[in-house]
Amino acid sequence: MRRYETVWVVNGDLPDEEVKATIDKFTKIITAQGGTMVGVEEWGRRKLAYKIEGTFRGYYVLADFAGQPPAVKELERNFRIDDRVIRYLTIKKSDQVDLAALEAEKAAKAQEAAARQKAEAARAAEAAAAAAAAEAAAANAPAAAPPEAQSTTAPATEEAPAEPAVEPGKEA
Amino acid sequence: MPAVPRRRRKQFYVRRKVCRFCVDSKLLINYKDTTTLRQFITERGKIIPRRISGNCARHQRHLTRAIKQARLLALMPYVPSPPPS
Repeated sequence: MRRYETVWVVNGDLPDEEVKATIDKFTKIITAQGGTMVGVEEWGRRKLAYKIEGTFRGYYVLADFAGQPPAVKELERNFRIDDRVIRYLTIKKSDQVDLAALEAEKAAKAQEAAARQKAEAARAAEAAAAAAAAEAAAANAPAAAPPEAQSTTAPATEEAPAEPAVEPGKEA
Repeated sequence: MPAVPRRRRKQFYVRRKVCRFCVDSKLLINYKDTTTLRQFITERGKIIPRRISGNCARHQRHLTRAIKQARLLALMPYVPSPPPS
């Protein structure tokens, strides 16, 4: 077994369901060929450095897996057939794979992803709470203070928590 | 030729260039890391030669490969598009 890393770019003009469908399809191909998935990273929609097939937007997906060389061949054959995929690149990371270490890494990655998801959910909840609080403050404003002073502070508190929620996707 | 400048009428000091990847082992070459790779291309998108950047042969080789991989995935331009005016 060899360790590979494949990045593929899905046409960014397609709806999210189509993108998710490609991830499903290609991970299935890897496992069907006797490969072991370690993790899937979605970089999300990005601007392309140049136009590909009439679009400047692409959805990047990275798959980390271990498998035999024929699995990669089959995967790339399918990339070429699928019109939704505009680019792909497979990199061999190592020739030998320690299966036990692989499982451990897989578990660690899954845990990390779960933690990230949790943090994101918490942040979203916080942002929602902050927005609600700001709204409440804005609603109370006319009675308590001159409305102008309140309306300037309310959007600021709303924006601050919303911004970090966007970033984790980019970093990944 | 030694890097130390000889005494001539016009003197210029050649600053010894070192391979940044050899100096800093934390700085890795990866096609996904476009912020690092961008430091080694010109405004025109060309790969800066070793002669100028001072990279060692091995790291230059890894670097060019990473840049070319990044170009394929449209993470980096082959030829930059002109800024919208």
